[in-house]
Amino acid sequence: MHDITLVQGISLAIMAIIVGIDFWLEGLFIFRPIIVSTLTGLILGDLQTGLIAGALTELAFAGLTPAGGTQPPNPVLAGVMTVVIAYTTGTDAKTAIGLALPFSFLMQYIILFYYSSFSFFMAKADKYAEEADVKSFIRLNILTTSIVAVTYGVVVFLSTYVAQDAMQLLVKSMPTWLTHGFEIAGGILPAVGFGMLLKVMLKGQYVPYLIVGFLVASFIPFSNLLPVAMVGTAFAIYEYFNSKNKAQLVQKVVVEGDDYSEGI
Amino acid sequence: MKESNKVLTKKDITKLGFLSSFLQASFNYERMQAGGFTVAQLPFLKKIYKDDKKGLSEAMKDNLEFINTHPNLVGFLMGLLLSLEEGKEDRNLIKGLKVALFGPLAGIGDAIFWFTILPIVAGISASFAEQGSILGPIIFFSVYLTIFAFRIIWTHLGYNLGVRAIEKIKTSSQTISKAATILGVTVIGGLIASYVHINVLTEVAINAEHSVSLQKDFFDKIFPNILPMAYTLLMFYFLKKKKVSPVVLILGTFIMAIVMSVLGVL
Repeated sequence: MHDITLVQGISLAIMAIIVGIDFWLEGLFIFRPIIVSTLTGLILGDLQTGLIAGALTELAFAGLTPAGGTQPPNPVLAGVMTVVIAYTTGTDAKTAIGLALPFSFLMQYIILFYYSSFSFFMAKADKYAEEADVKSFIRLNILTTSIVAVTYGVVVFLSTYVAQDAMQLLVKSMPTWLTHGFEIAGGILPAVGFGMLLKVMLKGQYVPYLIVGFLVASFIPFSNLLPVAMVGTAFAIYEYFNSKNKAQLVQKVVVEGDDYSEGI
Repeated sequence: MKESNKVLTKKDITKLGFLSSFLQASFNYERMQAGGFTVAQLPFLKKIYKDDKKGLSEAMKDNLEFINTHPNLVGFLMGLLLSLEEGKEDRNLIKGLKVALFGPLAGIGDAIFWFTILPIVAGISASFAEQGSILGPIIFFSVYLTIFAFRIIWTHLGYNLGVRAIEKIKTSSQTISKAATILGVTVIGGLIASYVHINVLTEVAINAEHSVSLQKDFFDKIFPNILPMAYTLLMFYFLKKKKVSPVVLILGTFIMAIVMSVLGVL
């Protein structure tokens, strides 16, 4: 059980503003839980909790990508709150992921609201384009980004510094079966993310690769996924040259037509 | 032949690569990335059009039309379009190329950056961080810093290739994204085995002294990680065939976990 000081609360808010802008622009990917949780751990003076929570949350969110027009639960709030909850209430990071999710959903909906409401700025943008008003046009884009940034700061400050007592009370009053349930859910949660990745990637012809990756990780005792990545790279290189050759062959056939003079 | 009217320098294109980061500055559902797409190019459009207010306005209006592409690769498109603007090509050609290219670029970008690189880098760096090693986030950040630097390279590539780029994209995009998908799918297979944890606590009593642990004596012996794989495929089935929203599946997973916790199964 720890308390978050005002200075820590403000530092967390400032960090949230920076990673929030990065999330908005998809720049350096410092908005991913593995970075956000580590930074949160640093600010709270508990790097170990930050790292472990970062690893768990990152994987739970690995498949929840914004590709294809969907907006997933917010990774920044998940990253911050998993560490904050584990730190302030003394719960296991696995359990904390579950408790952090409502915050992640909240930010997801705020972002969705901005996606819709920022449409109103487009009329202004049209006007500035008509007048070739470069300065106002730039200012408009800075304004929208700033709104998002400030929102991140405020939401994180409120969820961390202001709400910490309520949070501690809530976690303290939770029965064991519930915290254990959250812990189990934290362990299974990555399945949803991987399911989402498979939804976009998996076609019948790729199933063998999924099986091989699964087998390698299941039966080769190694501390990380490098062996799997190497096997995958080997497959990818093989496929690359294979389809390149095929493409060349097709081209040759098209060019040479039915000329069998070379004895083929 | 048109006379050479190059006004943009190499430095300008590098700057454009950096500014391409503003692509999503005013993201919204009506025009998606149009605002940021225009902003990133503005300093250079201004340089090209100088005092020609009408020309600048036309270019701005064209760029303000709906666009949704990939932030990491958009520099390529911006470089390409600016090389055409610089050559004072026909506005319809410029617009047409933009519309023709942003979709494929988004597809390649998503396949490579979201579906392949992210799971791989996340998986590897998380396996370090899980053991409390700071190496995890450092690896993650270094990889993404490198990826960011590539924005500059794509931008120069797009500018230098000009119109010739289109044929190149068409011929190699499929091969590349197919190879990337294979790598990604292999890694996801590994991620499922390593990071989805389901541990059955139930023990079946055979007689007074003996009981069989479902996890240790059954699942682990027959096939380790079979439950994580089964649950992931179940999620895949719900998402793909039943079109269930991920939020519902997340909440469903929680309810299932809590019920199983109460029953003492998991």
